[in-house]
Amino acid sequence: MKKKVLALLLASAMVASLAACGGTSTDNGGSTDSGNSGSTTTSTDGGNTTTTEAEPYVLEDLYITVDGTVTANVDNRQDAFVEQWEAAVSERIGHPIKLHINQPEHSGYSDKVSQLLTTGQPGDGSYPDALIMSATMFRQYQSTGILWNLADAYANAEFQSRITLPSINENMKTSSGELYGFAPTYGNGCVTYVKQSWLDAAGLKIDDIKTYDDYYNMLKAFSNGKTTGVIAAGFGKLDEAPYINYMPEFWQGAYPSFYQKDGTWVDGFQEQATIDALDRLATAYKDGLIDKDTEEATTKIAREKFFSNDQTTSEGVFTYWAGTWLRTLTDNMEKQEVDSELGDDRLVQLPPIKEIKDTWGGYINREAPVWVITDDGDGDDSREQAIFDALLDTMLDGDKVQTLWTYGAEDVHWSTKAEEFVTNPDDPEKKKEYKYEDGQFHLRPTPNDPNSIWKKNHLDAVLVIAPLTNGFVDSDPLVEKGNKFFTENCVDAPQAAASDTLTEVNSDIVSDKTKLMNEVVTGKKTGADAIAEYQAKWGDTAQTILDELNAQ
Amino acid sequence: MSKKVLATEDGTVIRHKPLGTRIWNHRGYYIMFLPVLIYVLIIYYWPMLGVRYSFYDYTLKKIEFVGFKHFQSMFFGKDSSDFWRSFFNTLQLSIMKLIITTATSVIVSVFINEMGNLLAKKALQTVIYLPHFMSWTVTAAIFTLFLSASSTGMINETLKEWGLITESIDFLHEPALWRPVFYLVNIWKETGWGTVIFLATLSGINPELYEAADIDGATRMQKIWYVTVPALANTVLIVLILNLAKVLNMFESVFVMYNTRVLDVSDVISTYVYRKTFLSAIPNYGYTTAVGLFKSLVGCMLVLVCNWASKKVRGRGII
Repeated sequence: MKKKVLALLLASAMVASLAACGGTSTDNGGSTDSGNSGSTTTSTDGGNTTTTEAEPYVLEDLYITVDGTVTANVDNRQDAFVEQWEAAVSERIGHPIKLHINQPEHSGYSDKVSQLLTTGQPGDGSYPDALIMSATMFRQYQSTGILWNLADAYANAEFQSRITLPSINENMKTSSGELYGFAPTYGNGCVTYVKQSWLDAAGLKIDDIKTYDDYYNMLKAFSNGKTTGVIAAGFGKLDEAPYINYMPEFWQGAYPSFYQKDGTWVDGFQEQATIDALDRLATAYKDGLIDKDTEEATTKIAREKFFSNDQTTSEGVFTYWAGTWLRTLTDNMEKQEVDSELGDDRLVQLPPIKEIKDTWGGYINREAPVWVITDDGDGDDSREQAIFDALLDTMLDGDKVQTLWTYGAEDVHWSTKAEEFVTNPDDPEKKKEYKYEDGQFHLRPTPNDPNSIWKKNHLDAVLVIAPLTNGFVDSDPLVEKGNKFFTENCVDAPQAAASDTLTEVNSDIVSDKTKLMNEVVTGKKTGADAIAEYQAKWGDTAQTILDELNAQ
Repeated sequence: MSKKVLATEDGTVIRHKPLGTRIWNHRGYYIMFLPVLIYVLIIYYWPMLGVRYSFYDYTLKKIEFVGFKHFQSMFFGKDSSDFWRSFFNTLQLSIMKLIITTATSVIVSVFINEMGNLLAKKALQTVIYLPHFMSWTVTAAIFTLFLSASSTGMINETLKEWGLITESIDFLHEPALWRPVFYLVNIWKETGWGTVIFLATLSGINPELYEAADIDGATRMQKIWYVTVPALANTVLIVLILNLAKVLNMFESVFVMYNTRVLDVSDVISTYVYRKTFLSAIPNYGYTTAVGLFKSLVGCMLVLVCNWASKKVRGRGII
């Protein structure tokens, strides 16, 4: 009998634990209504309707999840950034607020975000109140109900009067006018960099490279012995829009994913343009013009091989991000003592070749990464509005907070105080002295690398949609040159696709497409065979996705 | 409640007090055991409740009961080709790896055992143990660098220098070459560690057997074949049986070495689950839990088979 009682007790405990495990908490944790935004609740009592103003929401703790684009990371004095942000925003919103930053490793960011959003609840400390999403991630999440529609908050934001690029966010609105993400900058894109010394050695001029044939001949001239023409992080980056931006000269007018063509969604991977692009890549690979490490290289590996101090196994061409990265690549070549005599002229930017101009029109300007606010689903917008007010509205205040997001912490990453410092003091050839007057805005040495100068924090001063009003501008002629070149030679990327079926099968499709692409480029099959194989396995699914997209 | 009376075969009568009384009488022991019980329940059994999600669609905040949908998709539906590919790859890679590394460990153990110079013997043992302590990430990075098909790949460039090849061999991307390379890397990394148990067995062989063989005029090879190898046979069998239970637990070694071009020959269950879970923007945890549950069930069956085999071979089980 006692055994039965014991068994019953154990079974009850099991049932109770199952029930507890399946339950969901609706507790919002420490955050309650916002000081900036009250909420109104209406109740009906015995036929009499009474309207009461709810207690204002006080956002005391703000939890954000960010990727590697916030360069003021823990190794680079994020503590100073957080401290100054808290002081500036507390003053602005009228009550103390604490900022908690969760910065997962950049390459695994989307996996981490997916885990956080699946397992957490608003207010539990690890669940983000707001976070950064790439355009691809954003499109997939925007219809899940997990993101807050910030259209009204955006329309009423303080920064509206200073926006110079309103179309970026307006274009992100759904057909019914909802806006689930906020882009503080435009997207930027990649341009093709060529080493001037390699051009000189081959007797070529950048202005003479106008067509794909010219480009191909340049790569041939660069490929000699162990050197190769070009390297990239993958022949195509099929898991990240805009997919073709690391090897645009080969992809030309192809777009190996779902995109809108003349108002109708199509599967670009099945188009003839993709078959042609794959065959072009295969020919160049066979001719030894594409570095064989390209297939598996990460962006870090590709970059480091390009500016390696062993130029005998390097490459002459590298397509990478425009603007600030022109400076970063040049500085890294300087560090590795590559073409030092050429100074800031060691890299030249290749204008889009004719085949790119005739199809896309220029280099691709990717869809901007966005900030999103998570919706706690309680039907009350006070929490979400408070997050918008504290985080996003202040992010583009034109002054203190925007400077924090643009350049980092004052007197840590930048300063206006008179000071002198020296980089590479122990190396006579690289030693450089800096001297600034009182009141002169300048960037300071990078906290974790005092031999290089800090470049920027999260926002790029040139790409931002509402410029700083305090006149703090880091005027690096090389960066300006890079940005000018890109803006003059870019076109907007197609909008990323999002549908239920695509979300469900996307990782499998990307995996298969990448496999097929690599097999074609390395000569295992032809482009036509690869696309036929893709159609046999994914043709029906692709059609379902297209039907869903075209029905939206 | 009366005492329970049990009679043994020889007629001895054992009187058991009621369970409650016995627990009360030994309450001190039960109280001491309680923290361990709670720890085991929370750490080992509580997470197992998550297996129920294999019967649910679980994406972001949406949890919906779907019955056997995921199992149907896994075995017969749209995911079946990838799932079965990973399942059979797991079995093939694990079992081949087990056989090859065990065989090389035995051979190396015998050679080490035959070495007369104690200093050289100890030095060799130390050198071949070292790779075991290297992480799989570092191991993969080293071999990727050595085997790269680009101009920085040491093996290819050396073979070219010697005139043995004209075109680089893409060791890590050719489906036909990936498995042999995988087995070789495993041999390099795990052979040394695998010799520990065999060397212990060899040191326990009665020297009189070798002396008797000497008197009979046996050559060195004959002594190895007729004395050493038979003495090792039982240990080899036990090692194989014990490791067979773990064959499905293969992840890190494959994960750091595989790539999209060799998925057909390299994708194992754990890497398949990883991709389905972490490379999807919005993963369905229900499906991946179902795959995990299936893997656990097969693993459980393998443990039972090994337990049975162990009882047969050495007279006692492994659990």
